[in-house]
Amino acid sequence: MSASIEIAGVSKIYDGGVRAVDTVAMDIRQGEFFSLLGPSGCGKTTTLRMIAGFETPSAGAIRVDGADITHVPAHKRDMGMVFQNYALFPHRTVAENVAFGLRMRGLDKATIAAKVKAALAMVELSGLEERRPAQLSGGQQQRVALARAIVIAPRVLLCDEPLGALDKKLRQQMQFELKQLQKKLGLTLVFVTHDQEEALAMSDRIAVMNGGRVEQVGTPAEIYNQPMTRFVADFIGDTNIFRGERIAPSTGEAALDVGKGLILALPPSADMPGIGVLSVALRPERIRLSPRGEAADGAPGVTAHGVVENTNFLGGAVLYRIVLEGGHRVLVQQSNAGTDHLFVPGNGVTLDWTPADLVVLKD
Amino acid sequence: MSDAATRRPNGLALFILPSALLFALFFLLPIGLMALMSVLTGNPVVAPKVAFTTRHYARMFDDPYYLEVIWTTIRIGLVTTLVALAIGYPLAHWMARIRSRTGHALLLMAVLAPMLTGIVVRTFAWMTLLSDKGVINQTLISLGIISQPLKLMYTETGIVVGLVHIYVPFMVLTLTGVIGRIDERLEQAAENLGASPLRAFIEVTLPLSLPGILAGSLLVFALAISAYVTPILLGGFQIMTLPILIYQQISANFNVGFAAALGIILLMISLLLVIAYNHALGLVSGQRELQ
Repeated sequence: MSASIEIAGVSKIYDGGVRAVDTVAMDIRQGEFFSLLGPSGCGKTTTLRMIAGFETPSAGAIRVDGADITHVPAHKRDMGMVFQNYALFPHRTVAENVAFGLRMRGLDKATIAAKVKAALAMVELSGLEERRPAQLSGGQQQRVALARAIVIAPRVLLCDEPLGALDKKLRQQMQFELKQLQKKLGLTLVFVTHDQEEALAMSDRIAVMNGGRVEQVGTPAEIYNQPMTRFVADFIGDTNIFRGERIAPSTGEAALDVGKGLILALPPSADMPGIGVLSVALRPERIRLSPRGEAADGAPGVTAHGVVENTNFLGGAVLYRIVLEGGHRVLVQQSNAGTDHLFVPGNGVTLDWTPADLVVLKD
Repeated sequence: MSDAATRRPNGLALFILPSALLFALFFLLPIGLMALMSVLTGNPVVAPKVAFTTRHYARMFDDPYYLEVIWTTIRIGLVTTLVALAIGYPLAHWMARIRSRTGHALLLMAVLAPMLTGIVVRTFAWMTLLSDKGVINQTLISLGIISQPLKLMYTETGIVVGLVHIYVPFMVLTLTGVIGRIDERLEQAAENLGASPLRAFIEVTLPLSLPGILAGSLLVFALAISAYVTPILLGGFQIMTLPILIYQQISANFNVGFAAALGIILLMISLLLVIAYNHALGLVSGQRELQ
């Protein structure tokens, strides 16, 4: 039966005072696909290793279904884990690898054989029972590691960048399969990755980590659409971040003076009192682009003029880098609606957006 | 054309020449001569009339005394190897897994330090410890634990103690290299699947370090059966091993032919072991070679 995990104010301080994980708190719900996302060194793997029991927290507690397991040794935690390099036993066959956890649980041979067969069938590896890990492709090894972890019906499945070593096509396929398997088995899955696309594609919820701390926890849409901090906005997808001073222009609406003659109208929700410096994020695909002079001049604060500096053809979309009149560089993404509508470097363009698309960030 | 091109030796191959010469001159030649001497009736340099004979080998296998010497030598080698493995494995495991660089350096120094002293000096040190009036016996007697000195020296035990001390570093260094290459995450994977740390060691680390165990054991055994100084000093000629016997045959009996035959037997024992080692290694890692 899948379990919920509560991470309560957990820190990990290594000898020498390095704070790998700094008072992290999060609740992982039962049956949830939960990702720990962040750059290398952000503490995501250390957090996972503390859940698995390979590291002991310096402070705080980890609870599974309400029971404190902070000091329970790894082999008594009943969790499955898929390691980054799979950590398959090289001296054992595929079947022996998968059977390992069942053997440790003292099951009889017939039961083990049946369960191994079923697990290998589930990851579509039937027929490879007698192979050694070294005789398998990366994708097959990955499946063996997965089968070995789920065959013990763990309370929680932990995955440490399990798809990192696969090529892009295979990776995408495994993303679908892992997600499908997780839903089918109702597994609570904690997934560590540095790949934001992967996290967005697979997760029910994501915890974005940086410098040992959790920056934001939320659904992929929340993380992408309403990043709370500058780091999250910057780390997830492409984004334009402006920093400036809040002003109250004559129109009465709150706006942000980001320098070089550019003023951005702030969304109504950002009614923070007083005047101060703040950052806002604007996603490239939220900006509309039209040829210079075609569009009527919009209200100030929601339009700007510039020249296309660079184009990056992505296939389904085109990413433009535009130099605004004041000198700001802005990324704009347009869906590819056919070659007639593409801009080329040197084209004069007008940009417009709505204030609601600006997200105010905490630094 | 292409034939000449493929046969043209790599220029780098020339670098092997000095070691090849050295090997031929100081290894193949002496062993060849030794093999030859072992089947001759006398020394062809001084005695013009020599003939082929098998009498040296026949003498060895006819006289139980010589078989006893061979068996003693092998027994000392085996016990030394097992004790060195028992002492060396935990140490090697610790060294391979220690995280702190300083700790690793200290352990390495502790392992290597004895090797900085000559074998003779170290053996004399053991004599001052093990002899009837040595440190161990005197201490035990003064504490009233024993009334008669224990017979520690001039026994096989004494020889094994001295040999283990000398050869443990070889075992540790060989094992450390092999254990260090075993991914720690394999043990963690085993623990994650429900194996206690001890079980994880037995199921994963131990089998994967088998090549190191075999290599280290082979090295220590070969060194132990050919040891000369330590068995003489700690055995005091009361324990006879093959190297001592060979020396006696040459220096006291001037029976070079018989000494050569004994040498060949010693070589054969080592050679058989190397073959057995390769075979065992093939069985252990045979499946891995399939890739």
